[in-house]
Amino acid sequence: MIMERCIGAHRWHRIQRALRHGKVTVICLLLTVVVLRGTIGAGKFGTPEQDFVNIRDQIVHKIAEHRRVLEEIQPQQQQQAKTTSDSADSSGSSSTSNSNSYMEFHINSILKDEDPEEKSDPNKPYSIGPKISNWDEQRSLWLKANPQFPNFIGPEKPRVLIVTGSSPKPCENPVGDHYLLKSVKNKIDYCRLHGIEIFYNMALLDAEMAGFWAKLPLIRKLLLSHPEVEFLWWMDSDAMFTDMAFEVPWERYKDSNFVMHGWNEMVYGEKNWIGLNTGSFLLRNCQWSLDILDVWAPMGPKGKIREDAGKILTRELKGRPVFEADDQSAMVYLLATQRDRWGSKVYLENAYYLHGYWGILVDRYEEMMENYRPGFGDHRWPLVTHFVGCKPCGKFGDYPVERCLKQMDRAFNFGDNQILQMYGFTHKSLASRQVKRVRNETSSPLQVKDELGLLHPAFKAVKLSSL
Amino acid sequence: MGQDSFTPQKRNTSSTLPTVATNGSMYSTGRVVPRGRKIHKTFNNIKITVLCGFVTILVLRGTIGVGNFGSSEADTVNQNIIEETNRILAEIRSDSDPTDPNEPPEPDLNPNVTYTLGPKIENWDISRKTWLESNSEFPNHVNGKPRILLLTGSPPNPCDNPIGDHYLLKAVKNKIDYCRIHGIEIVYNMAHLDKELAGYWAKLPMIRRLMLSHPEVEWIWWMDSDALFTDMVFEIPLSKYGNHNLVIHGYPDLLFDQKSWIALNTGSFLFRNCQWSLDLLDAWAPMGPKGPIRDEAGKILTANLKGRPAFEADDQSALIYLLISQKNEWMDKVFVENSYYLHGYWAGLVDRYEEMLEKYHPGLGDERWPFVTHFVGCKPCGSYGDYPVERCLRSMERAFNFADNQVLKLYGFSHRGLLSPKIRRIRNETITPLQYVDQFDVRHHHVSSKPQS
Repeated sequence: MIMERCIGAHRWHRIQRALRHGKVTVICLLLTVVVLRGTIGAGKFGTPEQDFVNIRDQIVHKIAEHRRVLEEIQPQQQQQAKTTSDSADSSGSSSTSNSNSYMEFHINSILKDEDPEEKSDPNKPYSIGPKISNWDEQRSLWLKANPQFPNFIGPEKPRVLIVTGSSPKPCENPVGDHYLLKSVKNKIDYCRLHGIEIFYNMALLDAEMAGFWAKLPLIRKLLLSHPEVEFLWWMDSDAMFTDMAFEVPWERYKDSNFVMHGWNEMVYGEKNWIGLNTGSFLLRNCQWSLDILDVWAPMGPKGKIREDAGKILTRELKGRPVFEADDQSAMVYLLATQRDRWGSKVYLENAYYLHGYWGILVDRYEEMMENYRPGFGDHRWPLVTHFVGCKPCGKFGDYPVERCLKQMDRAFNFGDNQILQMYGFTHKSLASRQVKRVRNETSSPLQVKDELGLLHPAFKAVKLSSL
Repeated sequence: MGQDSFTPQKRNTSSTLPTVATNGSMYSTGRVVPRGRKIHKTFNNIKITVLCGFVTILVLRGTIGVGNFGSSEADTVNQNIIEETNRILAEIRSDSDPTDPNEPPEPDLNPNVTYTLGPKIENWDISRKTWLESNSEFPNHVNGKPRILLLTGSPPNPCDNPIGDHYLLKAVKNKIDYCRIHGIEIVYNMAHLDKELAGYWAKLPMIRRLMLSHPEVEWIWWMDSDALFTDMVFEIPLSKYGNHNLVIHGYPDLLFDQKSWIALNTGSFLFRNCQWSLDLLDAWAPMGPKGPIRDEAGKILTANLKGRPAFEADDQSALIYLLISQKNEWMDKVFVENSYYLHGYWAGLVDRYEEMLEKYHPGLGDERWPFVTHFVGCKPCGSYGDYPVERCLRSMERAFNFADNQVLKLYGFSHRGLLSPKIRRIRNETITPLQYVDQFDVRHHHVSSKPQS
């Protein structure tokens, strides 16, 4: 009313109208912004944290799509196969159980567990095995009594056992077993060249320690059953050798018992959950190793223990997502909190790729072939390319299927070329399964030396005194 | 705001920005509204309601993504991913290969020229002996035993059915276990070195190549991918073959009297690394090159060997024919072995595993405890086998577990039934594990029986 007096009724009403218009304009503007933000994305108007959460959720959504896809493929393919075999099978017998066709086969129709399952006492705390306190002594006595099984097969070369494995059941992914087969061939080749023995595990020794923890009871059992083995080398089934000429520098580890790829600052300083990698590591056969296995195991038993341990690890370690306890995070936590007890015998190696994350290596193979040669083991020519997250055997991976499988083919061929060149062949390309000749046959084959000297390398030479 | 307490008409009119003409009605609160104006107002209300409803839906769709109506984008993405993955899997499993357009096409084989595995080598025995003398760190005997190389392999592409790859994997694990225990090296071949000799003939160029590249190897042992070791203790008695260069499972009467096409089995045999073997490989190879040569050779073999069906020449029939027709040249150095199952045909063995477990023990290698169980005809890597699939795979699983139990014994475990992938403990954990190592490690049994050098 006061305003009306000052300015004049007509003008005042005009101002009021203008204000109302203004209000409406502002409301509509707000609505437009909200709609745009919702559909297109905020740019600089939303909070960065929310956007990050949004984007991460989108990626998870995409991953969930990938995960579902393989699951859907299986029944689709089975259906397709069923229809083609039904139409093609004109001479086969009527019942499925007598069919000669592999297309309709389901593995569960033949598997059968006869003996009853072992019932573990829920009240007893988990133990990886009875505590042994004098393993070093037991082992050295045994080695003295068995000179035909020495723990060193060369002046600086310890007897090494590579341990790897996979599930005894067929992979859920239809091509998973094929990639496991290629991976084991790759390991067979490296180990033949380097005089290393292989143990391929397909048995679950301890139902409590299933999944990534299954390696712990297996490693302990193998250490105790093979006293002649000096170093046990655990390698994941999704890790491949890509440098066939590189020999592990054993003398570097003469004072260490546990060698993993990693960085001291990231483990002890940052407590980063990927500060080290337990996909490829060396463990000496000694009392210290049995002790660290005992201390490592308690976070493993599946169920509540593993879930709760997972929460502790997510809280304590940098960058760790929320999921149940895994052996790698548990090791980071163990080392970071008990450094004075274990740190002096742990060697975190990063001068070469004892474990090489595939994401940063696989696109560079051609560049490596052009500029370098095998034998470096590091970023120039990685010893191991480890396909973390690809999980070719399961239905769920963290990366797109195409990238994983095609890159695994390339890594396999990259390593296989070094083997084939011994015999005068190479793959036609890193993506090709076919091989071509690069060295002609000759009537005096012993004059020919292979370029990399892998046919009769120094690290395979037999210790003369053992003849 | 006080102004909002006015009639709804005023609010509505204030939100329809373009039409300002109805502003006059804000003063006329008491006046009766004419009909035309009423309709106009109703119309405006509806317009505004629709507009607001539209905006609401847009906002909701943008933020939440409403049920069936929203996320059509995500659906198409999902469908694309499924198609893409389907395509990738089909591509991987097909035989197609990215071919290099710059590479010249392979020249066709001239049918008039006899196929050869490579240039003729005349003095391999001497060359090899010289090499061994000058490379004493690569001897042909290790720990008192001749150096053996086990050669096996499978095609480079995935099997027609995933279960085939799974059993290839189990078979290679089985071979890894036997070879670790007995100090034998393995070469797993996944490459076709010679396109002409593909399929079952692919072993010939590979055997030759390995012999020539590894003079330190004394014996090359070819083993099919569908053959499993079922006696982890038995060792080939190589001392028996001092005067022979080829050790192969078979029956001499079937070979010379009946000329049967299954008189010998080339699924598991040993070749000594020597000139004689190179010569035999050269004589064996000519029936192999695929195409008209192999087809014609197949007809000759079917005509000359008893019981052979009509199909292209295979390496087994070709070897039998060669040894029969050139008996005098080759047979004195060939040992036709049947005192143990260097190759054991699976059908007569797999049902007897329980009986064997009850009555006998590993180390015999013969019909009491077969050395090798060979799943001829099962062809798990293909689409169709010669036998019912369930029988084949059930038997392969049993054979695998039968062998695996012998390996797991050292560690105190055993399978929960011959058809079970799960294991159970058969020996308690102990704090003095080495007593069992001495008792159960297979290598220790052999060492004790080794003659002191």
